[in-house]
Amino acid sequence: MLSATVFFGLALVAFVGALVLVFHRNPMVAAVGMAVAMVGLGVLYMILHVPFLGLFLIIVYAGAVMVIVLYVIMALGLEEQGPPVGAVQTVLTFAAALLFIFHVYRLTRGAAPGPFPKVEPVFGSIQQFGHLLVSQYAVPFEVASVLLVGAMIGAIVLSRRDWT
Amino acid sequence: MISLGHVLVLTVFLFAAGLIGALTRRSAITVFLSVELMLNSVNLLLLGLGRHLGQVEGALFAFFVMAVSAAEAAVGVAIVVAFIRRQGTTSIDAANLMKW
Repeated sequence: MLSATVFFGLALVAFVGALVLVFHRNPMVAAVGMAVAMVGLGVLYMILHVPFLGLFLIIVYAGAVMVIVLYVIMALGLEEQGPPVGAVQTVLTFAAALLFIFHVYRLTRGAAPGPFPKVEPVFGSIQQFGHLLVSQYAVPFEVASVLLVGAMIGAIVLSRRDWT
Repeated sequence: MISLGHVLVLTVFLFAAGLIGALTRRSAITVFLSVELMLNSVNLLLLGLGRHLGQVEGALFAFFVMAVSAAEAAVGVAIVVAFIRRQGTTSIDAANLMKW
Protein backbone atom coordinates (compact mmCIF):
# COMPACT_ATOMS: atom_id res chain seq x y z
CA MET A 1 0.00 0.00 0.00
CA LEU A 2 1.36 3.35 -0.97
CA SER A 3 1.76 6.10 1.54
CA ALA A 4 -0.27 9.27 1.65
CA THR A 5 2.82 11.26 0.60
CA VAL A 6 2.71 9.82 -2.92
CA PHE A 7 -0.99 10.60 -3.13
CA PHE A 8 -0.47 14.20 -2.02
CA GLY A 9 2.36 14.69 -4.51
CA LEU A 10 0.24 13.41 -7.39
CA ALA A 11 -2.80 15.35 -6.23
CA LEU A 12 -0.67 18.50 -6.17
CA VAL A 13 0.56 17.84 -9.72
CA ALA A 14 -3.01 17.30 -10.95
CA PHE A 15 -4.36 20.35 -9.15
CA VAL A 16 -1.57 22.67 -10.31
CA GLY A 17 -2.13 21.46 -13.88
CA ALA A 18 -5.84 22.16 -13.47
CA LEU A 19 -5.15 25.68 -12.16
CA VAL A 20 -2.84 26.41 -15.12
CA LEU A 21 -5.56 25.13 -17.45
CA VAL A 22 -8.23 27.31 -15.87
CA PHE A 23 -6.37 30.56 -15.27
CA HIS A 24 -3.75 30.90 -18.01
CA ARG A 25 -4.77 33.23 -20.81
CA ASN A 26 -2.67 31.56 -23.49
CA PRO A 27 -4.64 28.50 -24.73
CA MET A 28 -1.42 26.71 -25.66
CA VAL A 29 -0.17 26.87 -22.06
CA ALA A 30 -3.64 25.90 -20.84
CA ALA A 31 -3.55 22.78 -23.03
CA VAL A 32 -0.13 21.84 -21.62
CA GLY A 33 -1.54 22.33 -18.10
CA MET A 34 -4.32 19.92 -19.04
CA ALA A 35 -1.72 17.36 -20.17
CA VAL A 36 0.14 17.71 -16.84
CA ALA A 37 -3.11 17.28 -14.90
CA MET A 38 -3.99 14.19 -16.94
CA VAL A 39 -0.58 12.58 -16.33
CA GLY A 40 -0.99 13.20 -12.59
CA LEU A 41 -4.51 11.73 -12.64
CA GLY A 42 -3.33 8.74 -14.67
CA VAL A 43 -0.65 7.86 -12.12
CA LEU A 44 -3.30 8.30 -9.41
CA TYR A 45 -5.46 5.73 -11.23
CA MET A 46 -2.47 3.40 -11.12
CA ILE A 47 -2.07 3.67 -7.34
CA LEU A 48 -5.84 3.13 -7.05
CA HIS A 49 -5.15 -0.38 -8.34
CA VAL A 50 -6.39 0.12 -11.91
CA PRO A 51 -3.06 0.54 -13.76
CA PHE A 52 -4.46 -0.22 -17.21
CA LEU A 53 -7.05 2.53 -16.92
CA GLY A 54 -4.35 5.01 -15.87
CA LEU A 55 -2.34 4.22 -18.99
CA PHE A 56 -5.55 4.53 -21.01
CA LEU A 57 -6.17 7.99 -19.54
CA ILE A 58 -2.64 9.21 -20.32
CA ILE A 59 -2.79 7.86 -23.89
CA VAL A 60 -6.25 9.23 -24.64
CA TYR A 61 -6.02 12.62 -22.93
CA ALA A 62 -2.35 13.58 -22.69
CA GLY A 63 -1.95 11.98 -26.13
CA ALA A 64 -4.94 12.03 -28.46
CA VAL A 65 -7.16 14.83 -27.17
CA MET A 66 -4.16 17.07 -26.50
CA VAL A 67 -2.80 16.59 -30.03
CA ILE A 68 -6.19 17.48 -31.54
CA VAL A 69 -6.50 20.58 -29.38
CA LEU A 70 -2.94 21.72 -30.08
CA TYR A 71 -3.53 21.23 -33.81
CA VAL A 72 -6.64 23.40 -33.63
CA ILE A 73 -4.81 26.09 -31.64
CA MET A 74 -1.85 26.12 -34.03
CA ALA A 75 -3.95 25.95 -37.21
CA LEU A 76 -6.39 28.69 -36.22
CA GLY A 77 -4.08 30.83 -34.09
CA LEU A 78 -6.36 31.13 -31.10
CA GLU A 79 -5.60 34.04 -28.84
CA GLU A 80 -7.93 34.98 -26.05
CA GLN A 81 -9.98 37.81 -27.48
CA GLY A 82 -12.06 40.47 -25.89
CA PRO A 83 -12.14 41.63 -22.29
CA PRO A 84 -12.48 39.11 -19.45
CA VAL A 85 -15.98 38.36 -18.22
CA GLY A 86 -17.59 40.87 -15.93
CA ALA A 87 -16.77 41.12 -12.24
CA VAL A 88 -20.28 40.10 -11.22
CA GLN A 89 -20.11 36.88 -13.21
CA THR A 90 -16.66 36.08 -11.82
CA VAL A 91 -17.73 36.63 -8.22
CA LEU A 92 -20.90 34.57 -8.71
CA THR A 93 -18.92 31.73 -10.26
CA PHE A 94 -16.43 31.62 -7.41
CA ALA A 95 -19.32 31.75 -4.94
CA ALA A 96 -20.97 28.80 -6.71
CA ALA A 97 -17.72 26.82 -6.59
CA LEU A 98 -17.25 27.55 -2.87
CA LEU A 99 -20.89 26.64 -2.21
CA PHE A 100 -20.35 23.35 -4.03
CA ILE A 101 -17.26 22.52 -1.93
CA PHE A 102 -19.09 23.52 1.25
CA HIS A 103 -22.11 21.35 0.45
CA VAL A 104 -20.00 18.29 -0.27
CA TYR A 105 -18.22 18.92 3.03
CA ARG A 106 -21.56 19.27 4.82
CA LEU A 107 -22.96 16.08 3.30
CA THR A 108 -19.90 13.96 4.06
CA ARG A 109 -19.04 15.45 7.46
CA GLY A 110 -18.77 12.84 10.18
CA ALA A 111 -18.41 9.96 7.75
CA ALA A 112 -14.81 8.84 8.12
CA PRO A 113 -14.16 5.99 5.70
CA GLY A 114 -11.32 3.74 6.68
CA PRO A 115 -8.31 3.23 4.44
CA PHE A 116 -8.93 1.34 1.22
CA PRO A 117 -9.39 -2.40 1.88
CA LYS A 118 -6.92 -4.89 0.58
CA VAL A 119 -7.99 -6.50 -2.68
CA GLU A 120 -6.81 -9.61 -4.44
CA PRO A 121 -4.13 -9.01 -7.10
CA VAL A 122 -6.58 -9.71 -9.92
CA PHE A 123 -8.64 -6.63 -8.98
CA GLY A 124 -8.56 -4.08 -11.78
CA SER A 125 -6.31 -6.19 -13.97
CA ILE A 126 -6.70 -6.11 -17.72
CA GLN A 127 -7.73 -9.80 -17.66
CA GLN A 128 -10.64 -9.05 -15.35
CA PHE A 129 -11.67 -6.10 -17.51
CA GLY A 130 -11.52 -8.20 -20.65
CA HIS A 131 -13.63 -10.98 -19.16
CA LEU A 132 -16.28 -8.55 -17.94
CA LEU A 133 -16.37 -6.65 -21.24
CA VAL A 134 -17.13 -9.74 -23.32
CA SER A 135 -19.49 -11.42 -20.87
CA GLN A 136 -21.52 -9.34 -18.46
CA TYR A 137 -21.04 -5.94 -20.10
CA ALA A 138 -20.90 -6.99 -23.76
CA VAL A 139 -23.91 -4.89 -24.80
CA PRO A 140 -22.64 -1.56 -23.34
CA PHE A 141 -19.27 -2.31 -24.90
CA GLU A 142 -20.82 -2.72 -28.36
CA VAL A 143 -22.96 0.39 -27.87
CA ALA A 144 -19.79 2.33 -27.02
CA SER A 145 -18.13 1.14 -30.21
CA VAL A 146 -21.15 2.18 -32.29
CA LEU A 147 -21.10 5.56 -30.52
CA LEU A 148 -17.42 6.02 -31.39
CA VAL A 149 -18.08 5.30 -35.07
CA GLY A 150 -21.01 7.73 -35.02
CA ALA A 151 -18.87 10.40 -33.38
CA MET A 152 -16.15 9.91 -35.98
CA ILE A 153 -18.61 10.38 -38.85
CA GLY A 154 -20.15 13.37 -37.07
CA ALA A 155 -16.76 15.02 -36.62
CA ILE A 156 -15.98 14.58 -40.34
CA VAL A 157 -19.34 16.01 -41.34
CA LEU A 158 -18.91 19.00 -39.01
CA SER A 159 -15.43 19.72 -40.35
CA ARG A 160 -16.47 19.88 -44.00
CA ARG A 161 -15.84 23.35 -45.24
CA ASP A 162 -18.82 23.58 -47.58
CA TRP A 163 -21.34 22.45 -44.99
CA THR A 164 -20.73 24.94 -42.22
CA MET B 1 -2.65 4.96 3.93
CA ILE B 2 -5.04 6.79 1.68
CA SER B 3 -8.81 6.52 1.99
CA LEU B 4 -11.91 7.49 0.08
CA GLY B 5 -11.81 10.86 1.84
CA HIS B 6 -8.54 11.83 0.15
CA VAL B 7 -9.95 10.96 -3.26
CA LEU B 8 -13.18 12.85 -2.55
CA VAL B 9 -11.32 16.02 -1.56
CA LEU B 10 -9.20 15.98 -4.72
CA THR B 11 -12.30 15.27 -6.83
CA VAL B 12 -14.22 18.18 -5.35
CA PHE B 13 -11.37 20.66 -5.85
CA LEU B 14 -10.72 19.55 -9.43
CA PHE B 15 -14.44 19.79 -10.20
CA ALA B 16 -14.62 23.27 -8.68
CA ALA B 17 -11.60 24.38 -10.72
CA GLY B 18 -13.23 23.04 -13.89
CA LEU B 19 -16.48 24.79 -13.01
CA ILE B 20 -14.70 28.11 -12.58
CA GLY B 21 -12.90 27.61 -15.88
CA ALA B 22 -16.08 26.71 -17.75
CA LEU B 23 -17.97 29.74 -16.47
CA THR B 24 -15.39 32.55 -16.39
CA ARG B 25 -13.32 31.99 -19.54
CA ARG B 26 -14.21 33.31 -22.96
CA SER B 27 -12.00 31.18 -25.16
CA ALA B 28 -14.06 28.28 -26.54
CA ILE B 29 -11.07 25.93 -26.34
CA THR B 30 -10.44 26.70 -22.66
CA VAL B 31 -14.12 26.17 -21.82
CA PHE B 32 -14.00 22.85 -23.65
CA LEU B 33 -10.88 21.73 -21.74
CA SER B 34 -12.46 22.80 -18.44
CA VAL B 35 -15.48 20.60 -19.13
CA GLU B 36 -13.10 17.71 -19.82
CA LEU B 37 -11.43 18.39 -16.48
CA MET B 38 -14.77 18.20 -14.64
CA LEU B 39 -15.55 14.95 -16.41
CA ASN B 40 -12.24 13.41 -15.37
CA SER B 41 -12.60 14.51 -11.76
CA VAL B 42 -15.89 12.58 -11.56
CA ASN B 43 -14.14 9.62 -13.17
CA LEU B 44 -11.60 9.70 -10.36
CA LEU B 45 -14.42 9.54 -7.81
CA LEU B 46 -15.94 6.54 -9.60
CA LEU B 47 -12.60 4.75 -9.37
CA GLY B 48 -12.19 5.65 -5.70
CA LEU B 49 -15.70 4.44 -4.83
CA GLY B 50 -15.16 1.17 -6.66
CA ARG B 51 -11.87 0.69 -4.86
CA HIS B 52 -13.52 1.51 -1.52
CA LEU B 53 -16.31 -1.02 -2.04
CA GLY B 54 -13.93 -3.60 -3.46
CA GLN B 55 -15.94 -3.82 -6.70
CA VAL B 56 -14.43 -3.46 -10.13
CA GLU B 57 -17.64 -2.03 -11.58
CA GLY B 58 -16.58 1.48 -10.58
CA ALA B 59 -13.47 1.27 -12.74
CA LEU B 60 -15.49 -0.38 -15.50
CA PHE B 61 -17.98 2.47 -15.48
CA ALA B 62 -15.10 4.94 -15.57
CA PHE B 63 -13.87 3.06 -18.65
CA PHE B 64 -17.21 3.60 -20.41
CA VAL B 65 -17.26 7.25 -19.37
CA MET B 66 -13.81 7.62 -20.93
CA ALA B 67 -15.01 6.05 -24.20
CA VAL B 68 -17.96 8.44 -24.33
CA SER B 69 -15.76 11.42 -23.47
CA ALA B 70 -13.36 10.49 -26.28
CA ALA B 71 -16.31 10.61 -28.69
CA GLU B 72 -17.39 13.89 -27.12
CA ALA B 73 -13.89 15.33 -27.52
CA ALA B 74 -13.82 14.52 -31.25
CA VAL B 75 -17.24 16.05 -31.92
CA GLY B 76 -16.59 18.95 -29.54
CA VAL B 77 -13.38 19.99 -31.28
CA ALA B 78 -15.13 19.72 -34.65
CA ILE B 79 -17.91 21.99 -33.38
CA VAL B 80 -15.37 24.49 -32.05
CA VAL B 81 -13.54 24.51 -35.40
CA ALA B 82 -16.78 25.00 -37.34
CA PHE B 83 -17.83 27.75 -34.95
CA ILE B 84 -14.51 29.59 -35.23
CA ARG B 85 -14.59 29.34 -39.02
CA ARG B 86 -18.11 30.70 -39.18
CA GLN B 87 -17.80 33.48 -36.61
CA GLY B 88 -14.16 34.38 -37.07
CA THR B 89 -13.61 34.56 -33.33
CA THR B 90 -12.96 32.12 -30.48
CA SER B 91 -15.04 34.10 -28.01
CA ILE B 92 -18.06 32.10 -26.88
CA ASP B 93 -19.97 35.36 -26.56
CA ALA B 94 -20.33 35.19 -30.35
CA ALA B 95 -22.53 32.10 -29.89
CA ASN B 96 -25.73 34.11 -29.51
CA LEU B 97 -27.72 32.86 -32.50
CA MET B 98 -30.32 31.12 -30.33
CA LYS B 99 -30.18 33.67 -27.54
CA TRP B 100 -33.46 35.40 -26.89
